[in-house]
Amino acid sequence: MSDFAIEASQLVKKFPARAGTGDKPAEGAAPTPKRKPWWQRGKKEPQAMFTAVNGVDLQIKRGEIFGLLGPNGAGKSTTIRMLCTLLEPTSGTARVNGFDTVKNANDVRRSLGTVLAGERSIYWKLSGRENLEYFAALYHIPAAIAKKRVDELIERMEIKDRANELVEKYSTGMRQRIAIAKALLARPPILLLDEPTLGLDPQAARNLRELIATLKEEGHTILLTTHYMEEADQLSDRIGIIDTGKVIALDTPENLKQRINQKEIIRLELTGWHDDLGDRLKEITGVETLTTHQQGEADLWEVNMHSNNSRATLPRIVEAISGNGTRLVNMNIVKPSLEDVFIQLTGKALRD
Amino acid sequence: MNVNSLAVPGFSSDVRAFWAVVRREWTVFVRYPSWIVSLLIWPIIFPMGYLLTARALSGVDGSGLTTFQNTTGLTDYVGYIAVGTMIWMWQNIVLWSVGYSLRNEQMRGTLESNWLSPTWRFSYLLGSSVPQMVSMITLLVVSGLEYALFFGVKFNGSILLTILVILASIPAVYGLGFAFASIVITMKEANAFVFLVRGIVMIFCGITYPMAMLPAWMQATAQWLPQTYIIHAVRTASLSTEGFAGISHDLSMILFFGVIWLAIGYVLFVVMERRARKTGAIGQY
Repeated sequence: MSDFAIEASQLVKKFPARAGTGDKPAEGAAPTPKRKPWWQRGKKEPQAMFTAVNGVDLQIKRGEIFGLLGPNGAGKSTTIRMLCTLLEPTSGTARVNGFDTVKNANDVRRSLGTVLAGERSIYWKLSGRENLEYFAALYHIPAAIAKKRVDELIERMEIKDRANELVEKYSTGMRQRIAIAKALLARPPILLLDEPTLGLDPQAARNLRELIATLKEEGHTILLTTHYMEEADQLSDRIGIIDTGKVIALDTPENLKQRINQKEIIRLELTGWHDDLGDRLKEITGVETLTTHQQGEADLWEVNMHSNNSRATLPRIVEAISGNGTRLVNMNIVKPSLEDVFIQLTGKALRD
Repeated sequence: MNVNSLAVPGFSSDVRAFWAVVRREWTVFVRYPSWIVSLLIWPIIFPMGYLLTARALSGVDGSGLTTFQNTTGLTDYVGYIAVGTMIWMWQNIVLWSVGYSLRNEQMRGTLESNWLSPTWRFSYLLGSSVPQMVSMITLLVVSGLEYALFFGVKFNGSILLTILVILASIPAVYGLGFAFASIVITMKEANAFVFLVRGIVMIFCGITYPMAMLPAWMQATAQWLPQTYIIHAVRTASLSTEGFAGISHDLSMILFFGVIWLAIGYVLFVVMERRARKTGAIGQY
């Protein structure tokens, strides 16, 4: 048996570009020619394609938690969908638990427990227990074992008191726990968790992170996608950063942070932000990457800049922001986090 | 630490999965109680318009009915129209419910979680059709009782032969539903097709009038539609005393079209499911 739970080699997925959706043609694809009248048409015109995943290589070891990070539209959901057999790759291969995702799709499905679309992936008109019993049958668990397993998971997910109520009466966190219990039913060796803590309150998210860590201790391999950097940092043994359909960095969280350790992060909080100011700050020698985001409803902005030498850069930054109605509220020089690694590599924040 | 899967693949597991789909669909169905209202009201309301039109056209003394009797061989125009509309209603509901069963799962978000399991994919369509069949057979029985009670229809024929025709019609009626369901997974939208098909059945298959009223080319086209034979056979079995001899030809044609439509439904399902995996349509809603 291979040492790797999941292997992907040069995985590519292209979709036909839809008119008016902003889908960009893949690099190197011929531009769509002007449509001829039907009587002048000969061969079918080539269709413009949008490349969602562009040659992804992954090797996820058995028993590790692997975090896949990327902004919206980076290709992480498409990659997950190819790994769990919902999508066929345009080219390249993927193996899960040693099985090819196209040729041995059913063996792959038996090896996986997947949480996709969270609370929407279960039936709201069934109770929590009925949902689990239903999916236990779909995952081919014998009836006698299924009953015990459902009871065990209901207990583990702490929903025993409300297991017989309809899911429509549950909170988001409870529904998410049922979705996770569903993924664990057949005790699959590999778990794919797509944004498992999305929409959960802090306490529920913390409980779920603890559960994920326990599942790793029990021997499960876990592929996790998340928008929360701290979550990926805390849970993952290794992290792959994906952007524009490619894995642009892959290492342990510590090694990734080490990459920009010689750099410093200048973090400002200010009011009266305007785009011209951004242009002026980017022109300052020593300022590498600049990201901004508004904090809440108020006119308070957080501005993050990477710099090799903050001592030399700071006076020029302060000079640039003075006047024009901009007011500096707070300023810090901080140690790089995984979020900063991400910004350094992709030029954008994870939630962009 | 090794993780040992609890799954035990095999034929019996596939049968249990199919049964689980049937139970799930039935449980969800009965938790929307509005279906009881539809079950009782629709069979009365739907043929009413046609019946009143027929009564108006037949004259106050019913003298116009002689022509009807000469063309159809039947005196009970109410029963004639009621049976025709009942079969049309059946096919129409199957197109909407079975035809949209996978699409509804897709919109709810549950289609993907079903598709992630190792169960035979056709089970989802087949399994969700079983409760639909039960509810439709109930609808047909309720319709028959209501027609007898409220419209005074006399079912002079054989109940057993009527049941036989209805059971034999299931493959043709549901095969068409499966074909629709398969197309809808990738096309997302099939309202126009449903309207077209039910319109064709309404006009070509003579749900309220004898086929002899139609021009020759329409009569010829109607011979290719299984609903033509179903309507004729149910009328003969339930309203006349012709017995098995009166329905034997219709029955063989119904079964023939049943095999054809089931095969078309299955092949379309396999093709469209593969296409959806290539295009990513399974998860789009």
